[in-house]
Amino acid sequence: MRLRRIIEVGLPRLLAWCLLGFLFVPILVVIPVALTDRDYLSLPQDGISMEHFAALTDWSKGWLPSMLTSAGIALACAAIATALGVAFAVGAWAAGGWWPSLMRILLLSPMIVPPIIYAVGMVKLWARLSLLDSYTGVVLVHVVLALPLTVLAIGASLSNLDQRLVQAARSLGARPMTVFGKVILPNIVPGVAAGALLAFVASWDEITVTLFITGRAVVTLPRRIWTSIQDAVDPALAAIATVLLVVTVLALVARALIERRQRQRKF
Amino acid sequence: MRNFKTTALLLTVPASLVAIGLYAAPILQVLALSLTEPKFGLANYQSLFANAAVGRVVMTTLKVSLMTTVLTVLASYVVAFAIIHMSAGWRRISLFLVLVPFWISVLVRAFSWITILRRRGVLNSALMEMGVISSPLDLVYNLFGVTIGMVHYMMPFAILLLYANLSDIDRRIMQAARSLGARPATIFWRVWLPLSLPGIALATLFVFVFSLGFLVTPALLGAGKTLMIAEYISVQISSTSRWDLATSLSTMLLLVVGIIVFAAMRSPALRAAFVARPQQ
Repeated sequence: MRLRRIIEVGLPRLLAWCLLGFLFVPILVVIPVALTDRDYLSLPQDGISMEHFAALTDWSKGWLPSMLTSAGIALACAAIATALGVAFAVGAWAAGGWWPSLMRILLLSPMIVPPIIYAVGMVKLWARLSLLDSYTGVVLVHVVLALPLTVLAIGASLSNLDQRLVQAARSLGARPMTVFGKVILPNIVPGVAAGALLAFVASWDEITVTLFITGRAVVTLPRRIWTSIQDAVDPALAAIATVLLVVTVLALVARALIERRQRQRKF
Repeated sequence: MRNFKTTALLLTVPASLVAIGLYAAPILQVLALSLTEPKFGLANYQSLFANAAVGRVVMTTLKVSLMTTVLTVLASYVVAFAIIHMSAGWRRISLFLVLVPFWISVLVRAFSWITILRRRGVLNSALMEMGVISSPLDLVYNLFGVTIGMVHYMMPFAILLLYANLSDIDRRIMQAARSLGARPATIFWRVWLPLSLPGIALATLFVFVFSLGFLVTPALLGAGKTLMIAEYISVQISSTSRWDLATSLSTMLLLVVGIIVFAAMRSPALRAAFVARPQQ
């Protein structure tokens, strides 16, 4: 009886923890490599060194300019994608009908269609419009790739909104823009914020399409990391990976803390 | 009253224009180019099917995608199933271990695996020091490395999908089964598994479709030796400028993904997961 319980409950649970370890532990390897005292990718040998983190802040090494480039592009992308996404999601929610449904499928399709196909198309289009390797070109592509996320996030917020609120405002004589700006918008702020954040992250991380539409002028952080991985020498690569890891962990912890505080406030 | 609906429709215009002009149009142009580059006709597709290199790439892609899908869905189900049975505290810890890899850049993850698996990497060094092996194993820049990296990339997605699906299942059904004398194994095979089939189908679909067109991990962990479709297309446009090959192969990939998604949409459970809530 006892043995059977170990096999049926204990083993699967042990396997699950091993798999969770498989997901999490390999990522941690970047930390010791970032602290290496050598100038090639290796584990620390005669002690640890912070010099590779210092290299990240050295303007001439290129990591800092790339971070700023990516941050700028991601901010622009988040602003545009959020504005377009809010307008679309709210309009589609209020209007209904075949047109918004069709456009919604088109807007969401970048989530399913392999990005390499989009990259092939954009190389051709940007070459014709002379937008290859330009900030405008990268921001516009990132907006298209971020729109599914903003539309979904804002759509989720809207699905909790009571349509009768809109009917009430309209029956009291509110003009259309008043309904959108003063009735609907204030009620979906969390969704809009989530959408903006997702758009920022999507742009910050985007590599597949960016790789083909940028060259020497616009070097985003993922592009620089990509090149650096292929060279596989510079330990500064492990340092930037460590920074990204720490930021991700901090953001997740912050989110957990905020959620917990909101829960406590509710009860 | 009409005015309100018109305003609402006008609000959908800017995003629609972006989607049509900057997404649909360039992709349609890829389809068009595959038929016209260099001259009109199906010649590109004829040479595509006759091309032995393309055949090898397609076989590699199918092999890696199938292995990735099977391993990912199996492993993710084990994890998601364990998570929903944990106490709240352990569940938070487990989800954290899933969310960190979920959110971290795919490049960082590929880099971690290269660091661990390469010939003078962490794993080979550790095994040699312990005396398990005398010369380093080839763990990366081959099918093995690509599959490990892909499974690692896909698992967080699949776990979160399966976790959401399993959490929605009504636990009272299992209580009923237990009170009627069903053993744990019977409850799993006869109750849990059938009820989680929609989630398994959705995860399988997503992982397989993502794998087919995936560029980053196969390119970095395969390094040109294990060549999949996306990387092959990328080589055609960035180094050899074979637009005929790139566009016809892209079209085939789009067609295959489209057929898979369309076929999946015919199942009501999957449709419910995708399509927008109907307007009242």
